[in-house]
Amino acid sequence: MSDELYRLVYYSHNTVTGDADAVEAAIISILAKSQVNNQRVDVTGALMFNSGCFAQVLEGPRSAVEDVFERIQQDDRHSDVSLLAFDPVAVRAFENWSMGFVGASIGDAARYGVLVNGSGFDPAKMDGDALFDTLRGLAMEEEHPTD
Amino acid sequence: MKASGEDQKTVLAPQPRSAALPEMATAVLIVDEDRQVEYVNTSARDLFLPVEPIGCTLTALFTSCGATGGDEVFAEVDSGVASTPVRLRLTDDRLLDCTLRPLSSGGFVLSMDDVTTYVRNAEMAERDALTGLANRKALRDRLVERLTNVARTGQAAALLYIDLDRFKAVNDTLGHPIGDTLLRKVAERFKSATRDGDIVARLGGDEFAVIQSDTPQPAGAQALATRLVDLIGRAYAIDGHLLHIGASVGVAIAPIDGREPDVLLKNADLALYRAKAEGRGCYRMFAPEMADHLPARRALETDLRRALALKQLQLLYQPQYNLASKLIIGFEALIRWHHPTRGVVPPEEFIPLAEEISIIGAIGEWVLRTACKQAAAWPVPVTIAVNLSPVQFRGGKLAETVTSALAQSQLDAHRLELEITEGALLNDTNDVLKTLNRLREVGVAVTMDDFGTGYSSLGYLQKFPFDKIKIDQCFVRDIDSHVERQAIFRAVTGLAAALRMKTIAEGVETEGELACVGAAGCDEVQGYLTGRPISAEATMALLATTCSAEAA
Repeated sequence: MSDELYRLVYYSHNTVTGDADAVEAAIISILAKSQVNNQRVDVTGALMFNSGCFAQVLEGPRSAVEDVFERIQQDDRHSDVSLLAFDPVAVRAFENWSMGFVGASIGDAARYGVLVNGSGFDPAKMDGDALFDTLRGLAMEEEHPTD
Repeated sequence: MKASGEDQKTVLAPQPRSAALPEMATAVLIVDEDRQVEYVNTSARDLFLPVEPIGCTLTALFTSCGATGGDEVFAEVDSGVASTPVRLRLTDDRLLDCTLRPLSSGGFVLSMDDVTTYVRNAEMAERDALTGLANRKALRDRLVERLTNVARTGQAAALLYIDLDRFKAVNDTLGHPIGDTLLRKVAERFKSATRDGDIVARLGGDEFAVIQSDTPQPAGAQALATRLVDLIGRAYAIDGHLLHIGASVGVAIAPIDGREPDVLLKNADLALYRAKAEGRGCYRMFAPEMADHLPARRALETDLRRALALKQLQLLYQPQYNLASKLIIGFEALIRWHHPTRGVVPPEEFIPLAEEISIIGAIGEWVLRTACKQAAAWPVPVTIAVNLSPVQFRGGKLAETVTSALAQSQLDAHRLELEITEGALLNDTNDVLKTLNRLREVGVAVTMDDFGTGYSSLGYLQKFPFDKIKIDQCFVRDIDSHVERQAIFRAVTGLAAALRMKTIAEGVETEGELACVGAAGCDEVQGYLTGRPISAEATMALLATTCSAEAA
């Protein structure tokens, strides 16, 4: 029916201004909100970030994914949202919310590693459709030095 | 005098308190000096169900149904001023207008009118039913208020006009339910980008407006316009579709760009027009020079709408000849617009404009109905060819319009030929083919127009059994001195013959060209050589001569 399982993947420019602390605070708040709001409507996924961009995977019933995505579109902490996928899928790649840091900056990796640890993010889960590699490549280009 | 005195006495004669009241639509309660309910009529009893009002104090009764505002009812009486209705709101959101009056015989009478529907309707009249935003009327009312405030305080306010780009395409291709959902999401985005005091209105279709005050201008309006262009331009996920539209914004600021509502509205519209003219997906602030000369195209737009309304458009008919019989076999209907001051405006100029401002459907229908009606009156039953714009296929009502035009004019369906360009087949090919097949079923012939220009995909010839191919005039021009044109021409007539389609050459202007297209196997010709477009009257006369010549 209309509520079959869908996966939506986007990436966008991080427009959180300020230093690494501000970025960290924004990321924590975004993930916390995602986990609470989306659990209720059975949407799971993954959030990836670095200092320059966000990339997010949303998985769940189609109408719920559409509602969550609409809320994300209205968020002014990011801009230039590019959609990479919006398709029906057979199974979820991310059963629970997870978060990954995608960047090359060693300083950032050390800093955000703490955030990411224990979130259960597994890039291998996205290797199947090469989407993760794409995201990773895009993310690298967007990264700004924050140290 | 005595008699009238008696009449008055009859009217004023004391009646039992309850005699005239039970069936009144207005709820009536009578309370004694202690404000305890002594009588209720049926409406009042229904109103307070399941509580039995008799014996309750009014205060207790109001409390029982959670009414707020009950104290004011007594405050009105206690203050001794002329009583105006007090509005009570019950917990179930019903609204009651209450009037309490002292009775000469002691106690009070309380009348209560349920004004819920009335108030809701008044609110609805201010609101756009689809999105819940303010409507055009409410926008104007609020603008008048804000401008009064601007005049008083000197603090600037901004008016933003917003048009959605590409919304019509979404509506046309995916249907109204998705279009409506999209509009509701757009409305949500407007709300998320604006502040509580801002007024957001939908003016109809894909037009919106915002009044912004309490913000330093023009910075406030510029920031909002930038945000709206970005926000509305972000993708939408609806029913499994990913949709992309855009927004163009025009801004006018009071008092510098106008102090009167109509001036400000007009100037915001001019700024919007500029934003659209400069590529859409952007905003433009009003500048006085925009008003100096209303852009020529906009003037043309207004004139074209008027021409359609006033029926200043005309049809001319150009004869089509069969080369073998040398007889007129039909006419092509060609639209002409004789502008009162510009003279004749060529269709190449106004048809694209008509498509853009969405009146091509109305124009196309007028052409179709007029051509059918005039052709039905011709003394010889030759064919009438009518051009269709690709836009006319949108909305799925073309087949109905054609059958209705045939029925109304009583024209034999076999005399009608519809000429379509491949543009009609570029998108939504399946729906277009369905329409074409329906038209074929009722007996209408379909011609592929302008063949040889554009993509000229042979795939189209395979997808639909056209009755005729009209070979574009670029292959006819000087064909007698260009062998490559002859080669192409022969290839097309050969192809058409194999597919059992007829061919017609357009733009034949010289004897040399005529001889050449005939030798290349073409069935029919049309052009200045064999006949220029002529008026409806001249067409009648020409056919009458043909008629008598044949009879002779």
